[in-house]
Amino acid sequence: MSSSDPNKLISKADKLTKLSLTRWSTDWKSATLLYEQAANGFRVARDYENAKLAFEKASKGQEMQSSPWDAAKHMESAAALAKELRNWTEVIDFYRRASELYMQCNRPQPASDSLAKGARALEDALPDDAIQLYTDACVILEEDDKEQMAFDLYRAATSIYVKLEKYTDAATFLLRLGLAADKCNARNSQCKAYLSAIIVYLYAHDLKQAEKCYNDCSQIDAFLRSDQNRCASKLLSAYTEGDVEEIKRVAQSSTISNLDNVIIKLARKLPTGDVSVFKADATKDEQEALDENDLT
Amino acid sequence: MTVIDILFRVDEICKKYEKYDPEKQRELNAFCDDAFSRLYALMEADIDKALHKSEMVSVEKNRAAAVALSAEVRRIKARLIEELPKLQKLAKKKVKGISKEDQETRLDLVLALPERIKAIPDGCTTAAFQTGGWGASSSNKNIKFDSSEERLDSDFFQQTEESNQFREEYEMRKMKQDEGLDMISEGLETLKNIALDMNEEIDRQVPLMDEIDSKVDKATSDIKRTNVKLKKTITEMRSSRNFCIDIILLCVILGIASYLYK
Repeated sequence: MSSSDPNKLISKADKLTKLSLTRWSTDWKSATLLYEQAANGFRVARDYENAKLAFEKASKGQEMQSSPWDAAKHMESAAALAKELRNWTEVIDFYRRASELYMQCNRPQPASDSLAKGARALEDALPDDAIQLYTDACVILEEDDKEQMAFDLYRAATSIYVKLEKYTDAATFLLRLGLAADKCNARNSQCKAYLSAIIVYLYAHDLKQAEKCYNDCSQIDAFLRSDQNRCASKLLSAYTEGDVEEIKRVAQSSTISNLDNVIIKLARKLPTGDVSVFKADATKDEQEALDENDLT
Repeated sequence: MTVIDILFRVDEICKKYEKYDPEKQRELNAFCDDAFSRLYALMEADIDKALHKSEMVSVEKNRAAAVALSAEVRRIKARLIEELPKLQKLAKKKVKGISKEDQETRLDLVLALPERIKAIPDGCTTAAFQTGGWGASSSNKNIKFDSSEERLDSDFFQQTEESNQFREEYEMRKMKQDEGLDMISEGLETLKNIALDMNEEIDRQVPLMDEIDSKVDKATSDIKRTNVKLKKTITEMRSSRNFCIDIILLCVILGIASYLYK
């Protein structure tokens, strides 16, 4: 066993793969084996850089041997090591490559899993890329009709958006979640997603959008009949009346406490800004309506 | 002579000399006289009944019976007050055969009636229980609206101290029940939410289980096939025929070797 010196193993394996006068064909099989051993040795020795390289080469070897599954697995290990090294671009590349290899094996589930792992690794460093990875992962799952698995990914992406304070994007994602839930008949998740979207809009202090969202969602039968619908209508009416106490009370109710943690935090912080503005708008609208009636 | 005998004799004598009894005559006359007197007589009878009942209330020990009697008294009073305007109208009407003084006395009687009716105690002032602690009764003892002719329902709802007590106890118990029910409903809501989430999670895992099932089935069949092949190979390798052939060949070689070395 050559646990002694991974470096030696690597050089040996390299020699096997390089074409030269004495060697007319590459011996990927043994090379791959040596690469794997070297990589493990490096990992144990906590030499992440070299381990990563070794895993890359091992993965390439597996590819040459037409076993994309093993190749993808090695890529994932390489990516994990790159994460340790905080080499974010490499992390993205490796995870994407791994997911492609998984798709070659016709296994979309691990493909999206690897993208999700990449996104989770990048959440703090490169949130935009993380969101991109999450979106791609969701697309893969949806193509495979496995939307149920995508719920967690949507929720994670939404939390990143909320962290970035991009509330409209977060709400859009939640609506996509609702759509996915609708397709697989997960009524509870769907209603929760819609309620969360309305709360996000209210947190962004955008009552008009929230009301529009509420009206859109009311078209959907499942939402109309649900607890979340009642809660949303209570919240919106409290907003139009400018009743801060009522808003706080609704935010404490158990319907909202059953949503995602991120959304609960937003709800507890409601109302943001001045609710009396909305109240004034509402009364102004009513007065305008009366004037119109007088004229006609 | 016993007391009872005396009583009977007195009764007999009274009956005999009834026609000399002025009150009774008036009563009899009243009945054949006119509408006013008739109505007046009825009202007097009702007032007497009410007074009698209110006396029973003050004596009554059973609270529920006392409450029922006071309620009846109140009802009678309300009815009387209802009929007062009719009586007044009749009193004002000119009936032939009645002197002017009689007319005026009738009016006076009618005026005196409302006070007599109100004076009938209907249990609001007499409390079978003096509860010092419940001071609230003094303020809303008589929830009287303007006791004009229209508002006679107020008499129905006059509060006694006891009924106040009942009401307050009832309200307290209702409040406590409401609180308890609120807590139960909160718990149930949480349970419901948890159950819905569990439902969805399980739904999510159903296709995964199906996949696992099929994959494991495939793996099992593969292993079975491999096992069979392995068994065949081993039996072939260890078959007795090969064994005999090996021994014979070995003997042949030994024979050749011994021949060569001989």
